[in-house]
Amino acid sequence: MVFTNAMRAIALKELSDKLKSKWVLVIASGFAAFTIVIAYFGGATSGVAGFRSMDATIASLTSLVTYFIPILALTLGGGIIADERDKGTLEIFLSSPISISEFIMGKFFGLAIALAISTLVGLGISGAILLIQLGFSAVGSYVIFMLNSVILGLIFLSVSFLVSILFNERARVIAFTVFLWLFFAVLYDLGLVGLLIVTKGAVGSDIFSTLLTLNPVDIYRVLNFLSIGELKVFLGLASVELPEYMRTSVLWGVSLLWVALPLIVSYHLFKKRYLA
Amino acid sequence: MLELKEISKNFGDVKAIDSISLKINEGEILGLVGPNGSGKSTLLKIMLGITRPSAGKLSFNGKELTPKDWKEIRKKMGYMPERVNFYDNLTGKETLELFTKVKGGDLGGVPVILKKVGLDNASHRRVGGYSKGMRQRLNLAQALCNDPDFLVLDEPTSGLDPVGTKEFYNILSNVRARKKLTVILSSHILAEIEDKINRVAVLKAGALKAVGSFEELYSDLNLPLKISVALKGKDEALERILKEAGASDIGYEEGCLTASLQKEEKLRVLSAVMGRNGNVVDISIREPNLEEVFFGIH
Repeated sequence: MVFTNAMRAIALKELSDKLKSKWVLVIASGFAAFTIVIAYFGGATSGVAGFRSMDATIASLTSLVTYFIPILALTLGGGIIADERDKGTLEIFLSSPISISEFIMGKFFGLAIALAISTLVGLGISGAILLIQLGFSAVGSYVIFMLNSVILGLIFLSVSFLVSILFNERARVIAFTVFLWLFFAVLYDLGLVGLLIVTKGAVGSDIFSTLLTLNPVDIYRVLNFLSIGELKVFLGLASVELPEYMRTSVLWGVSLLWVALPLIVSYHLFKKRYLA
Repeated sequence: MLELKEISKNFGDVKAIDSISLKINEGEILGLVGPNGSGKSTLLKIMLGITRPSAGKLSFNGKELTPKDWKEIRKKMGYMPERVNFYDNLTGKETLELFTKVKGGDLGGVPVILKKVGLDNASHRRVGGYSKGMRQRLNLAQALCNDPDFLVLDEPTSGLDPVGTKEFYNILSNVRARKKLTVILSSHILAEIEDKINRVAVLKAGALKAVGSFEELYSDLNLPLKISVALKGKDEALERILKEAGASDIGYEEGCLTASLQKEEKLRVLSAVMGRNGNVVDISIREPNLEEVFFGIH
Protein backbone atom coordinates (compact mmCIF):
# COMPACT_ATOMS: atom_id res chain seq x y z
CA MET A 1 0.00 0.00 0.00
CA VAL A 2 1.27 3.46 -0.92
CA PHE A 3 1.29 6.03 1.88
CA THR A 4 -0.37 8.93 0.08
CA ASN A 5 -0.39 12.62 1.03
CA ALA A 6 -4.08 12.35 1.98
CA MET A 7 -3.33 9.41 4.30
CA ARG A 8 -0.47 11.33 5.84
CA ALA A 9 -2.68 14.37 6.42
CA ILE A 10 -5.40 12.28 8.09
CA ALA A 11 -2.85 10.32 10.17
CA LEU A 12 -1.08 13.49 11.31
CA LYS A 13 -4.39 15.06 12.29
CA GLU A 14 -5.25 12.06 14.50
CA LEU A 15 -1.77 11.94 16.03
CA SER A 16 -1.71 15.68 16.60
CA ASP A 17 -5.14 15.50 18.32
CA LYS A 18 -3.83 12.88 20.76
CA LEU A 19 -0.63 14.79 21.43
CA LYS A 20 -2.36 18.17 21.88
CA SER A 21 -5.02 16.73 24.16
CA LYS A 22 -2.24 15.22 26.33
CA TRP A 23 -3.76 11.78 25.73
CA VAL A 24 -0.35 10.34 24.85
CA LEU A 25 1.27 11.95 27.90
CA VAL A 26 -1.43 10.74 30.31
CA ILE A 27 -1.42 7.18 28.97
CA ALA A 28 2.38 6.95 28.90
CA SER A 29 2.58 8.28 32.49
CA GLY A 30 -0.11 5.82 33.54
CA PHE A 31 1.75 2.94 31.95
CA ALA A 32 5.01 3.95 33.60
CA ALA A 33 3.44 4.41 37.05
CA PHE A 34 1.39 1.21 36.96
CA THR A 35 4.23 -0.95 35.68
CA ILE A 36 6.65 0.35 38.33
CA VAL A 37 4.09 -0.31 41.08
CA ILE A 38 3.32 -3.80 39.73
CA ALA A 39 7.01 -4.58 39.32
CA TYR A 40 7.75 -3.47 42.90
CA PHE A 41 4.75 -5.00 44.62
CA GLY A 42 4.25 -7.98 42.27
CA GLY A 43 5.56 -10.39 44.89
CA ALA A 44 3.71 -8.82 47.81
CA THR A 45 1.31 -11.77 48.05
CA SER A 46 4.24 -13.94 49.07
CA GLY A 47 5.26 -11.34 51.65
CA VAL A 48 8.06 -9.80 49.61
CA ALA A 49 8.15 -6.25 48.28
CA GLY A 50 10.82 -5.00 45.90
CA PHE A 51 12.04 -5.60 42.38
CA ARG A 52 12.31 -9.30 41.54
CA SER A 53 13.79 -11.01 38.50
CA MET A 54 12.98 -9.55 35.08
CA ASP A 55 11.18 -12.78 34.04
CA ALA A 56 8.88 -12.63 37.06
CA THR A 57 8.32 -8.92 36.43
CA ILE A 58 7.42 -9.47 32.77
CA ALA A 59 4.95 -12.16 33.88
CA SER A 60 3.30 -9.71 36.29
CA LEU A 61 3.29 -6.90 33.74
CA THR A 62 1.75 -9.20 31.14
CA SER A 63 -1.30 -9.58 33.39
CA LEU A 64 -1.57 -5.80 33.73
CA VAL A 65 -1.19 -5.15 30.03
CA THR A 66 -3.78 -7.77 29.01
CA TYR A 67 -6.39 -5.75 30.88
CA PHE A 68 -5.12 -2.27 30.19
CA ILE A 69 -4.19 -2.17 26.49
CA PRO A 70 -7.28 -3.85 24.97
CA ILE A 71 -9.75 -1.48 26.65
CA LEU A 72 -7.53 1.48 25.84
CA ALA A 73 -7.25 0.56 22.16
CA LEU A 74 -10.95 -0.32 21.86
CA THR A 75 -12.04 3.01 23.29
CA LEU A 76 -9.45 4.88 21.22
CA GLY A 77 -10.85 3.76 17.87
CA GLY A 78 -14.41 2.82 18.80
CA GLY A 79 -15.93 6.22 18.05
CA ILE A 80 -13.77 7.13 15.12
CA ILE A 81 -16.46 6.87 12.40
CA ALA A 82 -19.37 7.96 14.61
CA ASP A 83 -17.42 11.14 15.50
CA GLU A 84 -16.85 12.06 11.86
CA ARG A 85 -20.47 11.31 10.99
CA ASP A 86 -21.82 13.35 13.91
CA LYS A 87 -19.60 16.30 13.02
CA GLY A 88 -20.70 16.09 9.38
CA THR A 89 -17.08 15.81 8.20
CA LEU A 90 -17.53 12.22 7.02
CA GLU A 91 -19.46 13.46 3.97
CA ILE A 92 -16.62 15.83 3.13
CA PHE A 93 -14.13 12.96 3.21
CA LEU A 94 -16.47 10.76 1.15
CA SER A 95 -16.82 13.46 -1.49
CA SER A 96 -13.06 14.08 -1.58
CA PRO A 97 -10.73 12.54 -4.17
CA ILE A 98 -9.50 9.85 -1.77
CA SER A 99 -10.28 6.13 -1.55
CA ILE A 100 -11.94 4.48 1.43
CA SER A 101 -8.73 2.61 2.19
CA GLU A 102 -6.80 5.91 2.33
CA PHE A 103 -9.36 7.28 4.78
CA ILE A 104 -9.44 4.21 7.03
CA MET A 105 -5.69 3.58 6.94
CA GLY A 106 -4.93 7.26 7.55
CA LYS A 107 -7.06 7.16 10.67
CA PHE A 108 -5.55 3.83 11.72
CA PHE A 109 -1.94 4.89 11.29
CA GLY A 110 -2.48 8.12 13.22
CA LEU A 111 -4.06 6.39 16.20
CA ALA A 112 -1.66 3.42 15.97
CA ILE A 113 1.34 5.76 16.23
CA ALA A 114 -0.24 7.57 19.22
CA LEU A 115 -0.93 4.24 20.94
CA ALA A 116 2.53 2.87 20.12
CA ILE A 117 4.26 6.01 21.45
CA SER A 118 2.26 5.86 24.71
CA THR A 119 3.03 2.16 25.16
CA LEU A 120 6.71 2.38 24.28
CA VAL A 121 7.36 5.52 26.33
CA GLY A 122 5.38 4.27 29.34
CA LEU A 123 6.84 0.77 29.35
CA GLY A 124 10.23 2.18 28.31
CA ILE A 125 10.49 4.43 31.37
CA SER A 126 9.63 1.62 33.77
CA GLY A 127 11.84 -0.74 31.75
CA ALA A 128 14.82 1.58 32.13
CA ILE A 129 14.29 1.71 35.90
CA LEU A 130 13.94 -2.08 36.07
CA LEU A 131 17.04 -2.69 33.97
CA ILE A 132 19.08 -0.32 36.15
CA GLN A 133 17.87 -2.20 39.25
CA LEU A 134 18.06 -5.75 37.87
CA GLY A 135 20.86 -5.57 35.35
CA PHE A 136 20.83 -5.41 31.57
CA SER A 137 20.98 -9.15 30.87
CA ALA A 138 17.21 -9.33 30.34
CA VAL A 139 17.00 -6.32 28.03
CA GLY A 140 16.07 -8.57 25.06
CA SER A 141 13.07 -10.11 26.85
CA TYR A 142 11.86 -6.69 27.94
CA VAL A 143 12.17 -5.23 24.44
CA ILE A 144 10.17 -8.20 23.06
CA PHE A 145 7.59 -7.65 25.81
CA MET A 146 7.26 -3.99 24.74
CA LEU A 147 6.97 -4.99 21.08
CA ASN A 148 4.32 -7.62 21.90
CA SER A 149 2.41 -5.00 23.89
CA VAL A 150 2.41 -2.63 20.90
CA ILE A 151 1.14 -5.43 18.63
CA LEU A 152 -1.63 -6.25 21.13
CA GLY A 153 -2.66 -2.59 21.03
CA LEU A 154 -2.70 -2.58 17.22
CA ILE A 155 -4.92 -5.69 17.17
CA PHE A 156 -7.54 -4.14 19.43
CA LEU A 157 -7.30 -0.82 17.63
CA SER A 158 -8.05 -2.66 14.40
CA VAL A 159 -11.00 -4.44 16.07
CA SER A 160 -12.23 -1.05 17.35
CA PHE A 161 -12.45 0.26 13.76
CA LEU A 162 -14.73 -2.64 12.91
CA VAL A 163 -16.90 -1.86 15.95
CA SER A 164 -17.02 1.79 14.91
CA ILE A 165 -18.34 0.88 11.47
CA LEU A 166 -20.68 -1.86 12.73
CA PHE A 167 -22.61 0.41 15.08
CA ASN A 168 -24.00 3.85 14.31
CA GLU A 169 -24.83 4.89 17.84
CA ARG A 170 -22.16 5.81 20.32
CA ALA A 171 -23.98 4.02 23.19
CA ARG A 172 -23.94 0.77 21.24
CA VAL A 173 -20.27 1.23 20.41
CA ILE A 174 -19.46 1.63 24.11
CA ALA A 175 -21.59 -1.36 25.13
CA PHE A 176 -20.04 -3.62 22.51
CA THR A 177 -16.54 -2.37 23.36
CA VAL A 178 -17.01 -3.32 27.01
CA PHE A 179 -18.40 -6.70 25.97
CA LEU A 180 -15.44 -7.39 23.65
CA TRP A 181 -12.96 -6.43 26.33
CA LEU A 182 -14.66 -8.66 28.89
CA PHE A 183 -14.86 -11.50 26.39
CA PHE A 184 -11.22 -11.45 25.28
CA ALA A 185 -9.59 -10.47 28.59
CA VAL A 186 -11.68 -12.61 30.96
CA LEU A 187 -14.46 -14.82 29.60
CA TYR A 188 -12.57 -16.53 26.80
CA ASP A 189 -9.96 -17.98 29.16
CA LEU A 190 -12.64 -19.02 31.62
CA GLY A 191 -14.26 -20.88 28.75
CA LEU A 192 -10.96 -22.59 27.88
CA VAL A 193 -10.39 -23.64 31.48
CA GLY A 194 -13.98 -24.90 31.62
CA LEU A 195 -13.39 -26.87 28.43
CA LEU A 196 -10.30 -28.50 29.92
CA ILE A 197 -12.18 -29.39 33.10
CA VAL A 198 -15.23 -30.78 31.32
CA THR A 199 -13.12 -32.85 28.91
CA LYS A 200 -10.72 -33.79 31.74
CA GLY A 201 -7.80 -32.50 29.66
CA ALA A 202 -8.71 -34.65 26.67
CA VAL A 203 -8.58 -31.65 24.32
CA GLY A 204 -5.70 -32.21 21.92
CA SER A 205 -2.86 -29.71 21.82
CA ASP A 206 -3.67 -28.81 18.20
CA ILE A 207 -7.23 -27.85 19.08
CA PHE A 208 -6.08 -26.06 22.21
CA SER A 209 -3.43 -24.13 20.28
CA THR A 210 -5.94 -23.16 17.62
CA LEU A 211 -8.30 -21.95 20.33
CA LEU A 212 -5.50 -19.87 21.83
CA THR A 213 -4.80 -18.16 18.50
CA LEU A 214 -8.47 -17.15 18.28
CA ASN A 215 -7.91 -14.81 21.21
CA PRO A 216 -5.25 -12.11 20.68
CA VAL A 217 -4.88 -11.74 24.45
CA ASP A 218 -3.84 -15.39 24.70
CA ILE A 219 -1.44 -14.99 21.77
CA TYR A 220 0.10 -12.07 23.64
CA ARG A 221 0.45 -14.09 26.84
CA VAL A 222 2.01 -17.06 25.04
CA LEU A 223 4.42 -14.76 23.16
CA ASN A 224 5.63 -13.17 26.38
CA PHE A 225 6.02 -16.45 28.21
CA LEU A 226 7.80 -17.99 25.23
CA SER A 227 10.28 -15.10 25.32
CA ILE A 228 11.10 -15.67 28.98
CA GLY A 229 11.09 -19.46 28.54
CA GLU A 230 8.60 -20.26 31.27
CA LEU A 231 5.49 -20.92 29.29
CA LYS A 232 4.22 -23.94 31.23
CA VAL A 233 4.56 -22.40 34.66
CA PHE A 234 2.87 -19.18 33.75
CA LEU A 235 0.15 -20.67 31.58
CA GLY A 236 -1.06 -22.49 34.66
CA LEU A 237 -2.12 -25.27 32.35
CA ALA A 238 0.65 -27.74 33.04
CA SER A 239 -1.28 -30.61 31.52
CA VAL A 240 -1.27 -28.99 28.09
CA GLU A 241 1.71 -29.17 25.78
CA LEU A 242 1.80 -26.64 22.99
CA PRO A 243 2.88 -28.07 19.63
CA GLU A 244 6.22 -27.24 18.05
CA TYR A 245 4.74 -24.88 15.47
CA MET A 246 3.57 -22.46 18.18
CA ARG A 247 6.78 -20.52 17.78
CA THR A 248 7.25 -16.79 18.25
CA SER A 249 7.48 -16.12 14.51
CA VAL A 250 4.22 -18.02 13.82
CA LEU A 251 2.43 -16.20 16.63
CA TRP A 252 3.67 -12.84 15.37
CA GLY A 253 2.34 -13.81 11.96
CA VAL A 254 -1.04 -14.69 13.48
CA SER A 255 -0.97 -11.39 15.38
CA LEU A 256 -0.42 -9.45 12.16
CA LEU A 257 -3.36 -11.33 10.64
CA TRP A 258 -5.38 -10.20 13.64
CA VAL A 259 -4.39 -6.61 12.82
CA ALA A 260 -5.12 -6.94 9.11
CA LEU A 261 -8.37 -8.91 9.06
CA PRO A 262 -10.58 -6.50 11.03
CA LEU A 263 -9.27 -3.65 8.87
CA ILE A 264 -10.07 -5.55 5.67
CA VAL A 265 -13.57 -6.36 6.95
CA SER A 266 -13.92 -2.71 8.06
CA TYR A 267 -13.06 -1.55 4.54
CA HIS A 268 -15.73 -3.73 2.92
CA LEU A 269 -18.33 -2.94 5.55
CA PHE A 270 -17.64 0.78 5.26
CA LYS A 271 -18.02 0.59 1.49
CA LYS A 272 -21.32 -1.27 1.83
CA ARG A 273 -22.68 1.05 4.51
CA TYR A 274 -21.59 4.46 3.30
CA LEU A 275 -21.24 4.05 -0.47
CA ALA A 276 -24.27 1.87 -1.19
CA MET B 1 -20.88 18.96 -17.98
CA LEU B 2 -22.61 16.47 -15.65
CA GLU B 3 -25.43 14.45 -17.11
CA LEU B 4 -27.78 12.02 -15.41
CA LYS B 5 -29.59 9.51 -17.60
CA GLU B 6 -32.61 7.70 -16.17
CA ILE B 7 -31.09 7.53 -12.70
CA SER B 8 -33.01 5.50 -10.13
CA LYS B 9 -32.20 4.60 -6.57
CA ASN B 10 -34.00 2.07 -4.43
CA PHE B 11 -33.51 1.53 -0.72
CA GLY B 12 -35.11 -1.88 -0.28
CA ASP B 13 -38.67 -1.49 -1.51
CA VAL B 14 -38.55 2.29 -1.30
CA LYS B 15 -37.94 4.11 -4.55
CA ALA B 16 -35.94 7.18 -3.46
CA ILE B 17 -35.14 8.36 -7.01
CA ASP B 18 -37.34 7.47 -9.93
CA SER B 19 -35.72 7.55 -13.38
CA ILE B 20 -34.36 11.09 -13.33
CA SER B 21 -32.66 12.51 -16.41
CA LEU B 22 -31.00 15.86 -15.93
CA LYS B 23 -28.22 17.78 -17.61
CA ILE B 24 -26.22 20.34 -15.65
CA ASN B 25 -24.73 22.90 -18.00
CA GLU B 26 -21.28 24.37 -17.58
CA GLY B 27 -21.24 27.63 -15.65
CA GLU B 28 -24.88 27.60 -14.59
CA ILE B 29 -26.45 27.66 -11.14
CA LEU B 30 -29.09 24.98 -10.91
CA GLY B 31 -31.51 25.17 -8.01
CA LEU B 32 -32.70 21.84 -6.66
CA VAL B 33 -35.98 22.26 -4.82
CA GLY B 34 -38.50 19.92 -3.30
CA PRO B 35 -40.13 19.11 0.02
CA ASN B 36 -38.47 16.99 2.69
CA GLY B 37 -38.15 13.39 1.54
CA SER B 38 -38.38 14.32 -2.15
CA GLY B 39 -34.95 12.81 -2.84
CA LYS B 40 -32.83 15.99 -3.03
CA SER B 41 -30.06 14.71 -0.76
CA THR B 42 -29.97 11.29 -2.41
CA LEU B 43 -29.73 12.90 -5.83
CA LEU B 44 -26.89 15.17 -4.64
CA LYS B 45 -25.04 12.17 -3.23
CA ILE B 46 -25.44 10.35 -6.53
CA MET B 47 -24.00 13.39 -8.33
CA LEU B 48 -21.03 13.31 -5.94
CA GLY B 49 -20.50 9.56 -6.32
CA ILE B 50 -21.16 8.97 -2.62
CA THR B 51 -24.29 6.93 -3.37
CA ARG B 52 -24.39 4.46 -6.22
CA PRO B 53 -27.54 4.54 -8.37
CA SER B 54 -29.59 1.33 -8.69
CA ALA B 55 -30.09 2.06 -12.38
CA GLY B 56 -29.13 4.68 -14.94
CA LYS B 57 -25.93 6.32 -16.03
CA LEU B 58 -23.90 9.40 -15.17
CA SER B 59 -21.52 11.11 -17.51
CA PHE B 60 -19.07 13.96 -16.95
CA ASN B 61 -18.00 16.08 -19.91
CA GLY B 62 -19.44 13.42 -22.20
CA LYS B 63 -17.61 10.51 -20.59
CA GLU B 64 -19.70 7.84 -18.93
CA LEU B 65 -18.61 7.40 -15.30
CA THR B 66 -17.63 4.10 -13.69
CA PRO B 67 -16.89 3.74 -9.94
CA LYS B 68 -13.16 3.96 -10.72
CA ASP B 69 -13.56 7.41 -12.30
CA TRP B 70 -14.89 9.14 -9.21
CA LYS B 71 -11.54 9.75 -7.55
CA GLU B 72 -10.44 11.75 -10.59
CA ILE B 73 -13.79 13.52 -11.05
CA ARG B 74 -13.89 14.60 -7.41
CA LYS B 75 -10.67 16.56 -7.93
CA LYS B 76 -12.87 18.98 -9.89
CA MET B 77 -15.72 18.95 -7.38
CA GLY B 78 -16.43 20.82 -4.17
CA TYR B 79 -19.17 19.82 -1.76
CA MET B 80 -20.65 21.84 1.05
CA PRO B 81 -22.83 19.60 3.24
CA GLU B 82 -25.77 21.13 5.06
CA ARG B 83 -24.44 20.78 8.57
CA VAL B 84 -20.78 20.54 9.53
CA ASN B 85 -19.38 21.32 12.96
CA PHE B 86 -15.73 20.62 12.12
CA TYR B 87 -13.14 19.94 14.82
CA ASP B 88 -13.41 22.27 17.80
CA ASN B 89 -9.73 21.89 18.69
CA LEU B 90 -8.40 22.98 15.28
CA THR B 91 -8.13 26.57 14.10
CA GLY B 92 -9.88 27.66 10.91
CA LYS B 93 -6.54 27.65 9.09
CA GLU B 94 -5.61 24.17 10.35
CA THR B 95 -9.03 22.87 9.32
CA LEU B 96 -8.71 24.26 5.82
CA GLU B 97 -5.13 22.99 5.53
CA LEU B 98 -6.31 19.49 6.49
CA PHE B 99 -8.99 19.38 3.79
CA THR B 100 -6.69 21.02 1.23
CA LYS B 101 -4.12 18.27 1.80
CA VAL B 102 -6.79 15.56 1.69
CA LYS B 103 -8.19 16.93 -1.58
CA GLY B 104 -4.79 17.51 -3.12
CA GLY B 105 -5.25 21.29 -3.33
CA ASP B 106 -2.59 23.98 -3.13
CA LEU B 107 -1.65 24.84 0.46
CA GLY B 108 -0.43 28.22 -0.72
CA GLY B 109 -4.02 29.08 -1.61
CA VAL B 110 -5.33 28.59 1.94
CA PRO B 111 -4.86 32.24 3.07
CA VAL B 112 -6.45 33.43 -0.18
CA ILE B 113 -9.55 31.28 0.33
CA LEU B 114 -9.81 32.30 3.98
CA LYS B 115 -9.76 35.91 2.84
CA LYS B 116 -12.37 35.20 0.15
CA VAL B 117 -14.79 33.86 2.74
CA GLY B 118 -13.96 36.61 5.21
CA LEU B 119 -12.25 34.43 7.80
CA ASP B 120 -8.72 35.80 7.40
CA ASN B 121 -8.91 37.65 10.72
CA ALA B 122 -10.28 34.60 12.54
CA SER B 123 -8.07 31.99 10.86
CA HIS B 124 -5.94 31.45 13.98
CA ARG B 125 -8.93 31.07 16.26
CA ARG B 126 -10.21 27.62 17.19
CA VAL B 127 -13.32 26.53 15.32
CA GLY B 128 -14.92 25.70 18.68
CA GLY B 129 -15.36 29.45 19.18
CA TYR B 130 -16.80 30.12 15.71
CA SER B 131 -20.38 31.28 15.22
CA LYS B 132 -22.78 29.35 12.97
CA GLY B 133 -22.16 31.85 10.17
CA MET B 134 -18.39 31.50 10.47
CA ARG B 135 -18.66 27.72 10.38
CA GLN B 136 -20.74 27.94 7.20
CA ARG B 137 -18.13 30.21 5.65
CA LEU B 138 -15.43 27.71 6.63
CA ASN B 139 -17.66 25.00 5.12
CA LEU B 140 -17.72 26.97 1.86
CA ALA B 141 -13.95 27.45 2.10
CA GLN B 142 -13.34 23.70 2.35
CA ALA B 143 -15.59 23.18 -0.68
CA LEU B 144 -13.45 25.65 -2.62
CA CYS B 145 -10.03 24.52 -1.38
CA ASN B 146 -9.28 22.26 -4.36
CA ASP B 147 -10.24 24.98 -6.85
CA PRO B 148 -13.26 23.05 -8.16
CA ASP B 149 -15.13 23.59 -11.42
CA PHE B 150 -18.29 22.08 -9.99
CA LEU B 151 -19.75 23.08 -6.65
CA VAL B 152 -22.55 21.29 -4.80
CA LEU B 153 -24.20 23.29 -2.01
CA ASP B 154 -26.70 21.47 0.19
CA GLU B 155 -28.96 23.93 2.04
CA PRO B 156 -25.99 26.31 2.46
CA THR B 157 -27.78 28.96 4.52
CA SER B 158 -29.66 26.58 6.79
CA GLY B 159 -29.67 28.06 10.30
CA LEU B 160 -28.18 31.41 9.25
CA ASP B 161 -29.81 34.72 10.14
CA PRO B 162 -30.70 37.14 7.29
CA VAL B 163 -27.37 38.99 7.64
CA GLY B 164 -25.42 35.73 7.52
CA THR B 165 -27.47 34.57 4.55
CA LYS B 166 -26.82 37.79 2.65
CA GLU B 167 -23.10 37.59 3.45
CA PHE B 168 -22.99 34.00 2.26
CA TYR B 169 -24.52 34.79 -1.13
CA ASN B 170 -22.28 37.85 -1.51
CA ILE B 171 -19.23 35.63 -0.99
CA LEU B 172 -20.56 33.07 -3.48
CA SER B 173 -21.24 35.81 -5.98
CA ASN B 174 -17.69 37.19 -5.57
CA VAL B 175 -16.22 33.72 -5.99
CA ARG B 176 -18.23 33.20 -9.17
CA ALA B 177 -17.20 36.60 -10.47
CA ARG B 178 -13.59 35.35 -10.52
CA LYS B 179 -14.31 31.86 -11.80
CA LYS B 180 -17.42 30.69 -13.63
CA LEU B 181 -18.21 27.77 -11.36
CA THR B 182 -21.03 25.38 -12.12
CA VAL B 183 -23.18 25.27 -9.00
CA ILE B 184 -25.96 23.01 -7.78
CA LEU B 185 -27.84 24.73 -5.02
CA SER B 186 -30.27 22.72 -2.96
CA SER B 187 -32.62 24.70 -0.79
CA HIS B 188 -36.09 24.67 0.67
CA ILE B 189 -36.10 28.46 1.14
CA LEU B 190 -37.38 29.24 -2.33
CA ALA B 191 -37.60 33.01 -1.99
CA GLU B 192 -33.93 33.06 -1.02
CA ILE B 193 -32.56 31.32 -4.12
CA GLU B 194 -35.02 32.72 -6.64
CA ASP B 195 -32.76 35.48 -7.92
CA LYS B 196 -29.58 33.43 -7.64
CA ILE B 197 -30.29 30.52 -9.94
CA ASN B 198 -30.33 30.15 -13.73
CA ARG B 199 -32.54 27.06 -13.77
CA VAL B 200 -34.53 25.11 -11.27
CA ALA B 201 -35.21 21.38 -10.96
CA VAL B 202 -38.31 20.50 -8.95
CA LEU B 203 -38.43 17.13 -7.23
CA LYS B 204 -41.40 15.35 -5.75
CA ALA B 205 -41.40 11.84 -4.29
CA GLY B 206 -38.13 11.02 -6.02
CA ALA B 207 -39.31 12.12 -9.47
CA LEU B 208 -38.25 15.18 -11.45
CA LYS B 209 -41.46 17.14 -11.87
CA ALA B 210 -40.07 20.04 -13.85
CA VAL B 211 -36.79 21.56 -14.93
CA GLY B 212 -36.04 24.80 -16.70
CA SER B 213 -35.48 28.48 -16.21
CA PHE B 214 -37.88 30.25 -13.91
CA GLU B 215 -39.50 32.00 -16.91
CA GLU B 216 -39.93 28.71 -18.77
CA LEU B 217 -41.62 27.03 -15.84
CA TYR B 218 -43.81 30.08 -15.24
CA SER B 219 -44.79 30.15 -18.88
CA ASP B 220 -45.50 26.40 -18.98
CA LEU B 221 -47.67 26.57 -15.90
CA ASN B 222 -49.49 29.70 -17.09
CA LEU B 223 -49.79 30.92 -13.52
CA PRO B 224 -51.82 34.11 -12.99
CA LEU B 225 -50.35 37.52 -12.15
CA LYS B 226 -51.20 39.07 -8.81
CA ILE B 227 -52.66 42.59 -8.95
CA SER B 228 -53.03 44.80 -5.93
CA VAL B 229 -54.80 48.16 -6.16
CA ALA B 230 -54.57 50.53 -3.19
CA LEU B 231 -57.88 52.43 -2.92
CA LYS B 232 -59.26 55.38 -1.02
CA GLY B 233 -62.41 53.35 -0.44
CA LYS B 234 -64.22 50.20 -1.47
CA ASP B 235 -64.87 50.22 -5.25
CA GLU B 236 -67.57 47.81 -6.43
CA ALA B 237 -67.37 49.11 -10.00
CA LEU B 238 -63.71 48.22 -10.18
CA GLU B 239 -64.49 44.77 -8.76
CA ARG B 240 -66.97 44.29 -11.62
CA ILE B 241 -64.41 45.44 -14.21
CA LEU B 242 -61.87 42.99 -12.85
CA LYS B 243 -64.41 40.19 -12.88
CA GLU B 244 -65.36 40.97 -16.50
CA ALA B 245 -61.66 40.92 -17.41
CA GLY B 246 -61.48 37.34 -16.16
CA ALA B 247 -59.78 38.05 -12.83
CA SER B 248 -60.28 35.57 -10.01
CA ASP B 249 -59.71 35.49 -6.22
CA ILE B 250 -61.01 39.07 -5.98
CA GLY B 251 -60.94 40.40 -2.43
CA TYR B 252 -59.65 43.08 -0.06
CA GLU B 253 -56.42 42.91 1.94
CA GLU B 254 -55.39 45.82 4.19
CA GLY B 255 -57.25 48.43 2.09
CA CYS B 256 -56.11 47.00 -1.21
CA LEU B 257 -58.24 45.29 -3.81
CA THR B 258 -56.39 42.12 -4.81
CA ALA B 259 -57.01 39.67 -7.64
CA SER B 260 -55.36 37.08 -9.83
CA LEU B 261 -55.40 37.55 -13.58
CA GLN B 262 -53.98 35.93 -16.68
CA LYS B 263 -51.00 37.60 -18.33
CA GLU B 264 -52.90 38.43 -21.55
CA GLU B 265 -55.50 40.42 -19.55
CA LYS B 266 -52.85 42.63 -17.95
CA LEU B 267 -53.13 45.68 -20.24
CA ARG B 268 -56.93 45.54 -20.35
CA VAL B 269 -57.16 45.46 -16.57
CA LEU B 270 -54.53 48.17 -16.17
CA SER B 271 -56.37 50.59 -18.45
CA ALA B 272 -59.63 49.85 -16.62
CA VAL B 273 -57.98 50.58 -13.29
CA MET B 274 -56.42 53.80 -14.64
CA GLY B 275 -59.88 54.88 -15.66
CA ARG B 276 -60.90 54.80 -11.98
CA ASN B 277 -57.98 57.01 -10.95
CA GLY B 278 -60.11 59.16 -8.68
CA ASN B 279 -60.25 56.35 -6.16
CA VAL B 280 -56.93 54.64 -6.97
CA VAL B 281 -53.90 55.47 -4.83
CA ASP B 282 -51.39 52.90 -6.12
CA ILE B 283 -51.16 49.81 -8.33
CA SER B 284 -48.78 46.89 -8.25
CA ILE B 285 -48.66 43.84 -10.49
CA ARG B 286 -46.49 40.97 -9.42
CA GLU B 287 -45.41 37.93 -11.41
CA PRO B 288 -45.52 34.57 -9.62
CA ASN B 289 -42.49 33.86 -7.47
CA LEU B 290 -40.60 30.57 -7.24
CA GLU B 291 -42.73 29.46 -4.35
CA GLU B 292 -45.92 29.86 -6.42
CA VAL B 293 -44.28 28.06 -9.34
CA PHE B 294 -43.23 25.32 -6.92
CA PHE B 295 -46.73 24.90 -5.56
CA GLY B 296 -48.12 25.14 -9.08
CA ILE B 297 -46.02 22.13 -10.03
CA HIS B 298 -46.92 20.26 -6.87
